[in-house]
Amino acid sequence: MDIAALQLKMREAFRVEATDLLTELDSSMLELESRPQDSDLLNRVFRAIHTIKGSGATAGFNAMAAFTHHVEELFDEARLGQLTITPEMIDLALKAKDLIGQLLETDNPAALEPACARVVAALARFLPRSDKPTVPDQKKSGDTASKNQAHQVFFKPHPQIFFSGTDPINLVDELCTLGTATVTAVVDGVPALENLNPEQCYLAWNVKLLSAHPIGKIKEVFLFVEDESEIRIESQPEPPSHPSAGAGHLSSFLNIASQSLEALEGFLSRIPATAEPDLDWCKNYLRILKTLQSAASHQSLEKLAALLDEQIRILQAVISGQTSFSDHAREILAEGYEKLVAVIQSLSEQRPVSVSQPQTEVASRPEAPTAAVPVKETARAATSIRVDQEKLDRLIRSAGELLVARNAFPVLAKKLALDHGLRPISKEVKDAGDQISRIAEDLQAAVMSIRMMPIRTVFQRFPRMVRDICRAQGKEAELVLEGEDTELDKTVIEQIADPLVHLVRNAADHGIEAPEIREKAGKPRVGKVTLKAYNKENNVVIEIRDDGRGMDRARLKQKAVEKGLLTASAAAALDDRAALELIFLPGLTTAEKVTDISGRGVGMDVVRSNIRQLHGTTTLESKAGFGSVITINLPASLMVSKGILVEAGGEEYVFPMASVVQMVNLPRGQIHCLDGNHFASFRNQVFSVLRLVDHFARVGQRRDMVWPEEVSLAIIQTDEGRIGVAVDRFVGQVEVIVKPMGREFADIAAFQGTTILGDGRIALVINPAGFIGGSDRSNLLAAAGGANK
Amino acid sequence: MVSFTLLDAGYVVVEARDGVDALANCTAQKVDLFISDLNMPNMDGIQLTRQLRALAPYRFTPIVMLTTESQTEKKMEGKAAGATGWVIKPFQMEQLLNVVKKVCP
Repeated sequence: MDIAALQLKMREAFRVEATDLLTELDSSMLELESRPQDSDLLNRVFRAIHTIKGSGATAGFNAMAAFTHHVEELFDEARLGQLTITPEMIDLALKAKDLIGQLLETDNPAALEPACARVVAALARFLPRSDKPTVPDQKKSGDTASKNQAHQVFFKPHPQIFFSGTDPINLVDELCTLGTATVTAVVDGVPALENLNPEQCYLAWNVKLLSAHPIGKIKEVFLFVEDESEIRIESQPEPPSHPSAGAGHLSSFLNIASQSLEALEGFLSRIPATAEPDLDWCKNYLRILKTLQSAASHQSLEKLAALLDEQIRILQAVISGQTSFSDHAREILAEGYEKLVAVIQSLSEQRPVSVSQPQTEVASRPEAPTAAVPVKETARAATSIRVDQEKLDRLIRSAGELLVARNAFPVLAKKLALDHGLRPISKEVKDAGDQISRIAEDLQAAVMSIRMMPIRTVFQRFPRMVRDICRAQGKEAELVLEGEDTELDKTVIEQIADPLVHLVRNAADHGIEAPEIREKAGKPRVGKVTLKAYNKENNVVIEIRDDGRGMDRARLKQKAVEKGLLTASAAAALDDRAALELIFLPGLTTAEKVTDISGRGVGMDVVRSNIRQLHGTTTLESKAGFGSVITINLPASLMVSKGILVEAGGEEYVFPMASVVQMVNLPRGQIHCLDGNHFASFRNQVFSVLRLVDHFARVGQRRDMVWPEEVSLAIIQTDEGRIGVAVDRFVGQVEVIVKPMGREFADIAAFQGTTILGDGRIALVINPAGFIGGSDRSNLLAAAGGANK
Repeated sequence: MVSFTLLDAGYVVVEARDGVDALANCTAQKVDLFISDLNMPNMDGIQLTRQLRALAPYRFTPIVMLTTESQTEKKMEGKAAGATGWVIKPFQMEQLLNVVKKVCP
């Protein structure tokens, strides 16, 4: 796999992971709002954001990572007790979360920059100090081997610095790229607004920098301004955060050393052969050597440090162009490496045996760790795996095909018994078929259960939504979620979300009254919206209940009349139930004013039709002053597809849409008979014609082969080619959920199963693949019965 | 060479023969960064810097001087005139890019 493809895959994987994390963030941030002091919760939020940032940067979402950093900062401060989370912060963080989501999806992150900048600016207000972005973590950890040193940098630019075309912020930013920085602005010099000259620089900065770079590199940042600006750099030794003293210290050095050696070995295998070497190669090699050297001198391993000197010198000379990359240079590097191996080997043999285990583990890692992955992630990975939806669907298709294919066994068994008189083998084939059949059904059930997802994934978004609506409208409402673990088919989960959003919005926006109105009505100030899912028989029921004002039937009627949807007399004749049903009419809205949240009442009719598409029903109960309940009844599992409903011999059948090539009405003259078999030619194609009624009609309903003047043919595609199936009439297109017929009828290959029609009647779904088999069988049976073949 | 390097790095480059040409060319379009040799015919780098700083759109625009090591005095003069930074000749193209990124991130 090439790098680009790998990167694409990584990005995709991260996107999936991040989406989950973002959803989780949504709910944990809302929890945090009610319990701002909960440190577990804070940590959870922080970790989620941190992971998004870290893995995001690794996956190449740089803009997103940079932006996320600011959000992380806020929660980091809160986590460290530097600030307390307020609802305003949550507001902002949620906004930021949305932006992160958008940054993940967009191909053009620059377009979102203004929005991000606004959030960043707003975030900065909450932070006790004006922080500058630090380098994303993975850059830092790439250097774990080197020793960080703390520097205190004070930078007071010349007041006229802008006139030299220098933006001091750039320099502070540049400083921050050198390591982990904490930036504090010194604002003492800023005068009152009326005395402020916008072209003058009043600010100074204190930067606490933890960097692996030498001090020269830090000084270099201020190269162009050092003459006129005030710059002080104080370096302190490494803070004692690293394990120190004795064996532990040496062993951590040895870890660094072994990692470095491994990296060097890798580089040496790609040593440039030309005199004009790959500069990147040289620089990388040099970096490792320097890291090793500084680690060695830190350990007072002067001999080792000196050993590195020669190699470092030659590489520096090559990089600066002073010498060419000669064989001599190559020799020095190769020999130097051998010597290093020897020295480090001897050091590690002196190493005390009582080394703690984790150290060994680190040493065995091939490379320095990139981004920190929270333990929680690994734990979750152990219990579940992510699968591409396409792969899953393929599995489901195969399981379905297996279910159809097993139907060949009974046919085969009968053929053996009747045609060839091989009863014992026939029995064995039948038994084997039964077994496969059973396994296929288990498989089908198991595979379908993979598609089942808890409705939690949909419910999760609602606390945020209800909260936003309430905040925007000054209402108070509580959302109660029940039965979040109720499972539904993934397709249903995906498609139920939008209708539910609309219904919950309606409940909070139009249903729940303002707190004052509620109090006047003698109701609790805080309204309640309940979202509840549960299983009922084979169905899943979702209830959206609010204790708001309820539907005003008179108002509904009036509206319907106003909009010309109903005549006044018709409206007056409606009973309570029918009046309520008016809300499902397209173009009717009862909200006194249109709000930006619930919109213009395009909703309810669309909601109902969406749910109908899922083969669900929507019912509404409402009592003025007491609230409303909307009940959605959905089939829990379904294989939804489209089909053509036809009538033949007084029965209704469904052809799966996928198998129907064409539906035509042919004049009788185009049907020809040859040796008792019928053919039709249509658009230069000849195909055999069967009558559906001959195959499936109940005994006694069979009719003579007399073609009507016009023959309705469904041309269907089978494995053996196209055939025309004559029916009495086409009824129309229907949505079907195929339900298998159960084992008793498993040998009827001609049917896929049954489906419930919109009006509750049951129709058989024809299996085009089994159709031909079925006709063969009837021929077989006819032959066995002694009739003329 | 300079122009090629910058183009290659993704910058849009407007070339000028000398200071006079540069001044004439920078009014029609907004330039984000000037790179100027110190020694040029007609108008040298220091004069150009002064002139640019006098133009309202370029009061705060970064100006980078290309100098030689021996011109330390000139360097300071350029600085006083309002130059942002300098690159010492002879330089590697990478050095130039680093300075460009530094003053105009």
